[in-house]
Amino acid sequence: MRVGGWMLVAGVTLAIGLGASTLRAASVIDNWASVKAPPAPELKPVKIDPKTTALLMLDYIKQICNAERYPRCPQRLPTVKKLLDQARANGVMIVYTGTTTPNSERADIVPSVAPKGDEPFVKSVLDKFLNTDLEKILKDKGITTVIAVGQLAQGAVITTGSEAAQRGFKVIVAVDGIAAQDDYYEQYTVWHLGNAPLLSNRVTLTSTDLIKF
Amino acid sequence: MGGRFAIIAVALAVAATMICNSVSSSASANDIVDEWSKVSPPPAPAIKQVKVDPKTTALLMLDFVPHDPYCGDRKPRCGATLPAMKRLLGNARIHGTAVIYSVAGKYEASDIAKDVAPAGNEPVVKSKADKFLNTDLEKILKEKGIQTVVVTGTAANGAVLYTASGAALRGLKVIVPVDGLSANDLYEEQLTVWQLANGPGFGGQVTITRSDMIEF
Repeated sequence: MRVGGWMLVAGVTLAIGLGASTLRAASVIDNWASVKAPPAPELKPVKIDPKTTALLMLDYIKQICNAERYPRCPQRLPTVKKLLDQARANGVMIVYTGTTTPNSERADIVPSVAPKGDEPFVKSVLDKFLNTDLEKILKDKGITTVIAVGQLAQGAVITTGSEAAQRGFKVIVAVDGIAAQDDYYEQYTVWHLGNAPLLSNRVTLTSTDLIKF
Repeated sequence: MGGRFAIIAVALAVAATMICNSVSSSASANDIVDEWSKVSPPPAPAIKQVKVDPKTTALLMLDFVPHDPYCGDRKPRCGATLPAMKRLLGNARIHGTAVIYSVAGKYEASDIAKDVAPAGNEPVVKSKADKFLNTDLEKILKEKGIQTVVVTGTAANGAVLYTASGAALRGLKVIVPVDGLSANDLYEEQLTVWQLANGPGFGGQVTITRSDMIEF
């Protein structure tokens, strides 16, 4: 009798448990710790047409690209400067961006990669196409391909890179030219841009030393 | 004598190879692809109970089309979200919350999965991943006085990620139920949830929740 009572309780508890679990499919939150990253993507060599390509220098502003705030950004500057010099030498259009949080202007770009002459500067949060002339600036010059470097990887780079692809541009992402506050952000930015549905067919993952002008 | 030269030559060749390898690896050092296998995700974000105002909230049902590459056989994780989304949709309609759909590619409103299909004159917009791009979505939301969107659908790392981000950037509050998004695999869902919970620039406008934790 006593045993039977316990079995009844156990049975009801089990039934409630089963009911709840069938009602609710497991979400990623339930499986969070067991999620494994896919293999690293292959980086591909790229040959640039200087006439139709623009280098997007995303948010290299001194307020955030500094050793105290995001040290991985200044660490990548020598590599990015090399790419910038090469791009300029080959007549590639260079476009700079800043953001409103924190508010930043053209003069705030870190000196080692600062704009020259009339290289354009646009300002917006994350998506540099939103509320700016960026699309017009690029299309007026006949640009069909953009190279995205900058920080934050999961901010300006992932958003502007994706938006560029959705606006019909080819997007080249140099993985050694993007920076975030930690490696998880950089990893999923790279993976996402290389694999995102509907737009990854316009994205090429590469590194600065695999870009030929 | 000749043997000794051969040994020295081999040793020099090995040393030269090692130096070359170390130079070339340091030249491309410390990018994320080199670090790839060492990366582990941060802890899961907290999912929160949320109460919405039915009059100023819209439920966005994105790309629930039962064909690949949307909610078709190749993405069983999408089909698994439909029962919970059907309940959420029913709840939203009962409370008079606006429901807005999207489709992509060659599909139209009539292709949306029957269980969660549009009713009456619920709007359907058509665009790639970011449903604000080249659609009336922003206008529709403004005309209805919407201040909060609940974003569900597939792909998590496509329509959901971009439309939720786009909504936050346009000043809307964004609610993302984790059981309403789906991708090909968990890594994609995880990066979507993490990005929406922690992405820069969203300024705390995004709440991660579960569909049964949304109260109308």
